[in-house]
Amino acid sequence: MHKRNHIFLLAFMLVMNACMQTPENKDGYVHHLNFKPGEEAKIIEAMLSMKDSSLLQLDSGIYKFDNLSLAQLKHIRVQGAGHDKTILDFSAQTQGGEGMRVTDVNGFVIDGMTLRDSKGDLIKLNKCTDVVITNLHAIWQVSDSTSGGYAIYPVMCKRVLVENCYAQGASDAGIYVGQTDSAIVRKCKAFKNVAGCEIENTSHAQVYDNEFWGNTAGFLIFDLPDLSKRGGFVEAYNNYFHDNNERNFAKAGSFGSTWGVGNAAPGSGVVILAASDINLHHNRIINNNAAVISVVSGFFIDEKAGEKMNDHYFPIPKNIHIHDNEMQVADTFPPAMYGHHVGRILVGISQQLNAQDASRKGARLPYIIWDGITTNMLTGKTGINPDSICIQQKEQNLFVNADAAHIGKPGWKPNTDVAPFICK
Amino acid sequence: MRKLVVAGVCLVLLYCCGQTAKQPVNKAFEWQSHLSGYHFFEGALKQLQPRNGVTGYDLATPLFTDYTHKSRFIALPKDSVIRYNGAGLPEFPDSTFIIKNFAFLQPDHQLKLIETRILFKDPADHSWRVMNYLWNEAQTDAEQWISGKRVPVTFLDDNGNEHTTTYQVPNTNDCKRCHINNSILTPIGPKVRNLNFTRKGADMNQLAQFASAGILKGLPSADSIARLPVWTDSVSFSVSERARAYLDVNCAHCHIRGGDAYNTGLFLDYEHTAATPGVMKEPVSAGGGAGGLNYDVIPGDAKHSILVYRMNSTEPGTAMPELARTVIHKEGVALITQWVNGLKK
Repeated sequence: MHKRNHIFLLAFMLVMNACMQTPENKDGYVHHLNFKPGEEAKIIEAMLSMKDSSLLQLDSGIYKFDNLSLAQLKHIRVQGAGHDKTILDFSAQTQGGEGMRVTDVNGFVIDGMTLRDSKGDLIKLNKCTDVVITNLHAIWQVSDSTSGGYAIYPVMCKRVLVENCYAQGASDAGIYVGQTDSAIVRKCKAFKNVAGCEIENTSHAQVYDNEFWGNTAGFLIFDLPDLSKRGGFVEAYNNYFHDNNERNFAKAGSFGSTWGVGNAAPGSGVVILAASDINLHHNRIINNNAAVISVVSGFFIDEKAGEKMNDHYFPIPKNIHIHDNEMQVADTFPPAMYGHHVGRILVGISQQLNAQDASRKGARLPYIIWDGITTNMLTGKTGINPDSICIQQKEQNLFVNADAAHIGKPGWKPNTDVAPFICK
Repeated sequence: MRKLVVAGVCLVLLYCCGQTAKQPVNKAFEWQSHLSGYHFFEGALKQLQPRNGVTGYDLATPLFTDYTHKSRFIALPKDSVIRYNGAGLPEFPDSTFIIKNFAFLQPDHQLKLIETRILFKDPADHSWRVMNYLWNEAQTDAEQWISGKRVPVTFLDDNGNEHTTTYQVPNTNDCKRCHINNSILTPIGPKVRNLNFTRKGADMNQLAQFASAGILKGLPSADSIARLPVWTDSVSFSVSERARAYLDVNCAHCHIRGGDAYNTGLFLDYEHTAATPGVMKEPVSAGGGAGGLNYDVIPGDAKHSILVYRMNSTEPGTAMPELARTVIHKEGVALITQWVNGLKK
């Protein structure tokens, strides 16, 4: 072959190589879009016509949106200049259930901005895979029942990381992970929500290094019936849950027998409801002045919970391991709990304990409250601790079996004997 | 000299390289910029007179969208047919267009077109795509429009009452939200069971009409095909049947397994859910949208049923459906109220 041909071939290959390669930046995204405040219409249009592998950058400033949506995409990053710099305001929302909706996106990152004041949820991610929500502040400036339900709301997703986020003002949960498989919530803060964080029907969740305070309830792990999947295998550690004593301002279920966050009594640190395989350890649970840790079954709030049992739902918590937490409470119940139906039940348990046992000398409600409902009621057996509730804590006045099946009935006898539940 | 040649070749190649994006390899489908570009209709566009090969259709029970008047068409590619595939969606051939026009009845009783939504089954991957077209003020054409719009309108409802609202033209992601099931975009309306009725003014069942026109093949005998009740036909159908049909069409595109509201656990599709869906079911993620109520449906007590409460609201975060409704559908709320109040306690 002639030398000239070699050179042609080489040139050809070089150029073709340049052509074939996607013009991918070192950040890994093929398409780059950059906007500043005032370009809201362009941003909406960009999100609607977005291609896979796009990085959308939003410069510093306040953006006003009715709502935003991303759907059916792969490899997308929405990047702000920082939570205190890039602010997306949804107070003009006129339709839809949320400010920002991300549906069916595979590989989604949102980083470095504040979302605020939508009518519904702030950011909902539905059926997404490999999600990273980081350095995101999601807030309602007014914390009451006019706020949307969830601030940060991944649901029916796979592999979700919520990190360095802050949620405030949600009328349900600040950070809510629902019907999801594999989630991490870490280094987040939640303040002035009904629930700081809720892990619901979510399996394989890790919750650590967070601070949830000033909410009605700090942290909830719930399994509810009639949903697409069962939760479980949740580990929560190194968290600081404190001063969650606020009024429950959830609309749905505040009064009545329904499920959900309305049932969380003001002053709840951690509530485990009908969830199994939970490891709660090395948390500081301080000054949540109703119930530090509650472990209750579906029967505690619905006598028909047994009718709802199926592959996706089991009402009785099992394999609950509580160990090495630091716990403290104040001397009195938070005032707000007297106006709450579960709060009043807790007051009743406390009064009953003290009435039946003078040696308690009017001590506070114990730290850990268990409703005492076991699978024995389904199997007819009489085993002690058949559901493997396992507690390794040093505190005095540690535990009460509330004997919830008999509350208000003759023979109701809450029992503070923790011995059967000490980890073997 | 040689260097020059090489540089020249490189330049030519680079030029080609830059051009490839603009030259579709095998004529990939592209949306027209204007509705008129498709030539679905003949004569003045706003008359929506279908040309040969474009077939109008109606639904036994249609979706409510702020009392808009809708006209629906299917445009099949030449020499192709729709194949019967049970009572759900039939099998549409590649390159099918489904066209849905939305118009308001103005106070002067003239119809004014506002938007046209198009579904197209792309032969490239046999999947459906969506596009929206916004009508101009002069009503001469509609322009491709992806980003949604809020349009103030004054219109007459089905009883001739005047309303003023801000109509919400959906953006293309809004379209997808209702049309996606299990991550696949699908048409919603033209299910066989919902086509299986006799249109107003027609002398023949719509499916039979399609079959005789040769555009629908494989149709079994008429009595073996399921049909969705006509929600307004209180002579032929019970309250329960009409209510279920209404919920199916207005709610079940999301409230179905695989749909956008799968996570709520409330399923309202006609064929595959309990006879009384939502009864004593607690809300899961409704937040304030539940209005402080505890159950989706309480038999005999519509007033405290979340389903009715949300249908009867226009507040974002509460209103259901979430999209494409800014006024309350009084007649729909009345039917569902009647149904819930009639459920046995």
